[in-house]
Amino acid sequence: MSSAREQEPAYRVDAEQLELGGGLEVLLAAALERVTPGGVLEIRTPSRAVALELPGWARTTGHELIGDAADHGAHVVRIRRGASARVLAAPLPDHGEPPVLRDGELHTADWRGGQLPPDPDPGAGFAPLGAVPEAGAPRHHWQLSGRDALWADDVGELVEQASAQQWDASRDVPWAAARDLDRTTEKAVAQVMTFLAQNEYAALYVPARFLPQINPQLVELVLWLGSHIHDEARHIEVFTKRSLIGGQHGYALASTELSLHTLLDEHDFTASSLLLNVLGEGTFLDLLRFIELHAPDAATAAAAKLAHRDERRHVHFGISNIRRATSFDPDLAPSLVAAAEARAAKLVSLSGLSPLLVESLTVMAAASLQPAELAEAAADIRTLTETMESNRVRRLRACGFSATTAQHLSDLHTPNLM
Amino acid sequence: MISAELRLGAVSYHPRVVTIWERFRTYFADAGVPTDYLLFSNYERLVDAVLEGTVDIGWNTNTAYVALDHRAAGGTQILGMRDVDLDWATVLVMPKGKSIDSVTELDGRVLALGSRDSGHAAILPLHYMAKEGLDAQERCRLLRFDTDLGKHGDTGDSELHVVRAVAAGEAEAGALSDVYFSAFRAEGVPEVADLQVVWRSPTYYHCNFTVLDSLDRELSERWSQALLAMEFDDPSLRSAMELEGVRRWYRGDRDGYASLTAAMREQSMLT
Repeated sequence: MSSAREQEPAYRVDAEQLELGGGLEVLLAAALERVTPGGVLEIRTPSRAVALELPGWARTTGHELIGDAADHGAHVVRIRRGASARVLAAPLPDHGEPPVLRDGELHTADWRGGQLPPDPDPGAGFAPLGAVPEAGAPRHHWQLSGRDALWADDVGELVEQASAQQWDASRDVPWAAARDLDRTTEKAVAQVMTFLAQNEYAALYVPARFLPQINPQLVELVLWLGSHIHDEARHIEVFTKRSLIGGQHGYALASTELSLHTLLDEHDFTASSLLLNVLGEGTFLDLLRFIELHAPDAATAAAAKLAHRDERRHVHFGISNIRRATSFDPDLAPSLVAAAEARAAKLVSLSGLSPLLVESLTVMAAASLQPAELAEAAADIRTLTETMESNRVRRLRACGFSATTAQHLSDLHTPNLM
Repeated sequence: MISAELRLGAVSYHPRVVTIWERFRTYFADAGVPTDYLLFSNYERLVDAVLEGTVDIGWNTNTAYVALDHRAAGGTQILGMRDVDLDWATVLVMPKGKSIDSVTELDGRVLALGSRDSGHAAILPLHYMAKEGLDAQERCRLLRFDTDLGKHGDTGDSELHVVRAVAAGEAEAGALSDVYFSAFRAEGVPEVADLQVVWRSPTYYHCNFTVLDSLDRELSERWSQALLAMEFDDPSLRSAMELEGVRRWYRGDRDGYASLTAAMREQSMLT
């Protein structure tokens, strides 16, 4: 103790007019950063009140008063820095290489410097990228934590696109254009829009259920699922608005509900990537494109077009995720096929797309009940069905499935489309 | 249930006492000295319990320790205390812009004090001021805040009343512990912003773990060693130690209790 009293200060600070409670604590904390544990900090203050208060401050902050003297009208207080660490963690790393900018923009895909995230600790917390986590925090138990089963190589870019392509379902759709349709066409549009909105609920609930299971150290996936959920919320919004704007109503069909129910039954992330992103949303890409091209009004066309842009990202993620996951796990592909087969078994009662919906799509595309227009629209729908089928197989092949397996999976897909 | 070798008594001055002792109970079990804890609503009951043998160890305030040691005729042992307990001090605070060079300047003024059973906020301020020439019990009008009697000032509640009274001008000066004043400052208690420290007492000891001489020495020594081995940088202990206000445990001794013993005699608190 006596040797400490004689110890030369490692650092000196002049508090000038600063007081405790008025910023002196901040100056002292910064000064103590320059003193190693056991070293001495000398504080000079003209205030007797500050000098009298500093011992209590020192003790409550883990340091020790070792001297208090007068010097030419000032008070000189010496405290010895305590041994305990303020934060229970390794020191912060030295200044590192910051992420590169693209024309002044900081892209999510670039913030790891092109590196994959490390396979995270399943108990890790909400430490942001670059942060050093403090010890002693409660551990989590993330259900979805294995990087190679969850990751998609371009997820950073997809997050970037999702942010850049946000839109507003109240203002970006020319709603007034939907007001003048004849009752028959409007009723058909209302049914189609009701069907779309009903399906989009499931497209929201599936990623929403996975999000809180994801290890936050795979932050790009967290951002991605957040954007996916937000996209689907807007799809529910825009298709509901389109069904309401014409004053007509549609049915929320039980067959659609059954199909969506089986989608929610799937609890495996990659199997859901297959069933929802690749097969369901993939098939919807063709449907939305059809609606955009055959819409009887500009509002319907705009809603379908905007939703299509989002769904493309979701399909892209699904293909990318499955391609990567199956390359790391050779047993995964058969289990994905089994998941599709299990779902199909639950949907044996569905023999095709609901006749009510086929009729509504036909009337919507024909925009009348005139035989010539109806015939043309019916032909277009047959083409749509073929397009859906061939594109589905193409997407499954892009996932890495063999031609035979891709055809098998496509054949198993729900007649409800999603 | 862990079979406890020792029973420790503590006062439940705040719900956090349960959090602290649940963690410490596990710690002592892991350290090979299983220790259960019993909570009391006031230190007088705790002192009785130590004397009656209901508990082996009392986690005492300085006032409780002096009373216990007096009643045991000096037959007590101290097993440990916190780092902060070794250098406790009382301060007098006044509004900014007002100060004193000597406590005698408070002659005839209103002095706010904390609970009358608090060593740091009532008993020792009167003692030290008397030593510096002011018998405040006779010469000042005392504005006492006897809140939470039996807790010996542990709650900090009476000291909060003290700073509020001084800030409101109901008292010229107020006495409280330097630790509580710093804590109020750190918590941003608004009234503290307008106050400053104008006097500081000599230091004295505060709490300690006390046992009677009759307790098995080998057992009490093992308990002490386990206590002293607690590490503030152990992530599993930090939170409980922060709640207890300790960074490091010390063995401690009797030296720092002389002033309180004298003060309690002067104020007829040891009979």
